Amino acid sequence: MVDYRGMELDLADGSEAAEYLQQVSSRRSFVLQACLDCGRLRYPPGAACPYCASSESEWRSADAAGTIISYTIVHQAIQPGFREWVPYPVVVGELDEQKGVPGPDDGIRLVANLLRADFTPEVPSSVAIGLRVEVVLQDIGDGLLLPQLCLTQEQPEEEPWPMA
Amino acid sequence: MGSLSGKCSIVGVGETPYLRGAGVTARRMAVDAVRAAINDAGLCARDVDGMMSYGVGDSVTSIAVGHDLGIDLQFNLDAVGGGSSIETLIGLATGAIEAGMCHTVAIFRSLNGYSGVRMGGSGARAAAPVAGVDLLRRTYGWSSPAQRFAPAFMRHMKDYGTTCEQVAHVKAFQSQHAASNPKAVYPEVVSIEDVVESRWITTPLHLLDCCVETDAAVALVVTSTERARDCRAMPVRVLGVAGRVSKPRPDHDYGYGSPTSIAAERARVIVFGMAGVDPEDIDVTAAYDAFTWTALLQLEQYGFCKEGEGGEYVSSGDTRLGGRRPNNTSGGQLCEGYTNGANLVVENVRQLRWQADDRCPGAADDGEHTFDYAPGACRQVRNPELAMNMGWATPALGSALILGRG
Repeated sequence: MVDYRGMELDLADGSEAAEYLQQVSSRRSFVLQACLDCGRLRYPPGAACPYCASSESEWRSADAAGTIISYTIVHQAIQPGFREWVPYPVVVGELDEQKGVPGPDDGIRLVANLLRADFTPEVPSSVAIGLRVEVVLQDIGDGLLLPQLCLTQEQPEEEPWPMA
Repeated sequence: MGSLSGKCSIVGVGETPYLRGAGVTARRMAVDAVRAAINDAGLCARDVDGMMSYGVGDSVTSIAVGHDLGIDLQFNLDAVGGGSSIETLIGLATGAIEAGMCHTVAIFRSLNGYSGVRMGGSGARAAAPVAGVDLLRRTYGWSSPAQRFAPAFMRHMKDYGTTCEQVAHVKAFQSQHAASNPKAVYPEVVSIEDVVESRWITTPLHLLDCCVETDAAVALVVTSTERARDCRAMPVRVLGVAGRVSKPRPDHDYGYGSPTSIAAERARVIVFGMAGVDPEDIDVTAAYDAFTWTALLQLEQYGFCKEGEGGEYVSSGDTRLGGRRPNNTSGGQLCEGYTNGANLVVENVRQLRWQADDRCPGAADDGEHTFDYAPGACRQVRNPELAMNMGWATPALGSALILGRG
């Protein structure tokens, strides 16, 4: 069990999600589950490949760059440990890698917090759809690294859309 | 599968009061609601031989309710699920009856949703260890329905220019409907300003964009349309069902397509095809309103307006009583009470019987409706023949039900 914001994280439950966090933490780099048959990456982690149904997989380094495709700014925390963090952003980030593969509606979408370089929540006025992001690893204690997203200086392809 | 369309009917409905603090068990409320629905149908316990329910670890089993009411069950099933379950179970009840497994099915949803397990995950659930898929949700402070669904709404604002003021009309209109509903927990009329000036929960959702959590049970009785003719009330036929239809890659809500696209895109093909009708034919709708926004997205994607025009549709007046196609005439889950959609089906059944339990004089005794839609008066739509329920579980998962009078 790892304590994070007052929550007990059960990383010994044998779930694919727990293995993902353990793999990221032990390698100290961003990896995703990759299918050994069709070669595609997937997220969230699962017991088989959603593109070819194969159960054979490995953990493979993934390109950390992506774009925010939507978000919310949480003002009312549910977990008591998040109350000191409000208002905090939760963003849906789509990775460049494997975007539009295998079909145009497919892509690897991570849902995570948008953090500043010091791992505090990005200020709400800086969050917008279309902004470029990269995956960063937040040390949450006990050797556990949690994949998060952080803005980059890269120019967005389209005009970013922030909620007014 | 069109062959099952119209074969079965809803013949009884029952509810307990919608309360914030019922002070009784889910079992007691379920028993009271099922008994009321059986009585409403003009049946007795021995006429019922099937039972179904749904819940998320917050309810009671069909076996327990059958035991208490002295019902000998030939068929029962307790499903795991919240929103989108009731439409699905009505479809499954139709199948069980037509397959000869039983003759008459009671379906219930009972929950102490305010004073017991909270749907948002606060209280005891927030203290439970985090495991499995929750390791990639709760660790990000992303767990409640509001937090999970909000990105779909935010993207709709970007892509289509939808505004908080537009979607606030869903709450404002439904509050006017609730004022004509003696059962409503929130009968007060609220304005657009009340909604958009209420505090943020998670953008773009304000407090008043969110439904009211209540303690309540709701029950329905389904039987063959042939048997239904012997029941007391006007039968309401089950014409079309789409049961828990999912988008591809549903596990993390946003794994496929635009964040605004929801399961309705697929469910609508099934439900309208089975019923043999089009959106234009529907007289009254009930779009699952866990939030104002879930109603908007479903009304749009089931085809009651064009893509991207949901904001205009819900603010045009079409969806209010007296409008072209009223939506959530009871006040819905934003105002009447929250039972994962079961109360929205009860309302549509009463609308199709032309017997809304409103504030018209003598409404409780099947009195005449005034069709005066001022708050605090009538909420019966004029002579509706077809009603539709749209059930939401997540952006990626939903159900739909089309009902017809007589």
